[in-house]
Amino acid sequence: MANVENLTLEIETIDERKVNIGETAALLLVACAIGTMANYVATGVGALEAFPGMAILFLCSVAGLIMARFVPLALPSVAWVSLFAIVITIPGVPGSAWVVEQAGKINFLSLATPALAYGGLALSAKEFAIARKSGWKIVIVAICVMLGTYLGSVVIADLTLRVFS
Amino acid sequence: MSHSRALGADKLALHGIVLAIVVIAEAIGVLRIPIGIAAVVLLPMLYAFAMGIAINPNITRATARVLTPNVQKFAGAMITIAITPFVAKFGTTVGPQIEAIIEAGPALILQEIGNLGTIVVAFPVAVYLLGMGRETVGAVYSIDREPNLALIAEKYGLDSPEGAGVMGVYATGTLIGTFIFAIMPTLIHGMGVFDIRALAMSCGVGSGSMLAACTGALTTAVPDQTDLILGLAGASNVLTYATGLYVGLFIALPLTQWLYRKARPELY
Repeated sequence: MANVENLTLEIETIDERKVNIGETAALLLVACAIGTMANYVATGVGALEAFPGMAILFLCSVAGLIMARFVPLALPSVAWVSLFAIVITIPGVPGSAWVVEQAGKINFLSLATPALAYGGLALSAKEFAIARKSGWKIVIVAICVMLGTYLGSVVIADLTLRVFS
Repeated sequence: MSHSRALGADKLALHGIVLAIVVIAEAIGVLRIPIGIAAVVLLPMLYAFAMGIAINPNITRATARVLTPNVQKFAGAMITIAITPFVAKFGTTVGPQIEAIIEAGPALILQEIGNLGTIVVAFPVAVYLLGMGRETVGAVYSIDREPNLALIAEKYGLDSPEGAGVMGVYATGTLIGTFIFAIMPTLIHGMGVFDIRALAMSCGVGSGSMLAACTGALTTAVPDQTDLILGLAGASNVLTYATGLYVGLFIALPLTQWLYRKARPELY
């Protein structure tokens, strides 16, 4: 067990302006390859058929990284990635129908599976120790926090939808 | 440098383990366990996470030779990278739904305020029911994912009581968040009170894995609305990415501090 005395997480506040784009792109390829395999097992869509869709997602990801790296706006790269993916799929944008068709061959749940596998393997002794030491009170509070953010949004959204329709 | 980092043998072993886990998890597939009016939905990402924890060297000593602390740290960096194509996929579901999203626009924007629900629900529980101290402020002001953790680290330092609170909820959320977000939406949907669009857009809480679990559960419960659910959830998640930090800094954290001073004036 690692040093459990000093229970402060070293949070990696990844400075997205210092990200090595080439290296991250290579690792993105690895993630996309594992994602393609996950998609195949889940849906039966082969690598060749999934390739255009996967390539689109890869390119959006890299474009997002580049924007976060060079545009002086406090937007995280995931926000840029989302914006690119949204814009190229809006009806009327040239090629959007094709992009939607290709991306539709990729099962969204299969793309989350690799991230969670890395997540389970990445948990450090410190994280286990913090969860253990924080005790049952924090577990209850954490569940209330998750319930609160979800239910709070649901209630407001539902009421607003009723008012505006 | 970059080659050694991306292509070292130990890192390839890590990717290999992940690939094996993913294939097993996807082969099991989505399971629905009916309980009364609702159903608990078990998703491949949950099995993948559970298998990852089971193999984690802090649980199973035998893997420590391959999964060294360095490789584990690298695995942590891979989470962010592996979730990026997922985020992109989510974006591609937003464009085609743009009309439905604009129609739901006011709700979509206003429900961001609902993220303050963490305070409404968790603050009284922490202060009055559990008698917690200043940890409360860090614990309940937000959903306590990475950006929120960074904010508390900057304001109080992580070795403060507030820091202990935010880290406790962060670690707990990391361990059980996916599970909670896989069962909660279906149970709330089972109540039959709320619009499916409201349930969908509330999935965008600013965490990729919670978004995935939440939408996975909802689309399994209401498969014929899959496109609408993904589009609204994706749009809401982008909004949270963009607004989350500012809401935390200017509204949620000051509000929680103020409430705490009112509730425990003797401590200030």
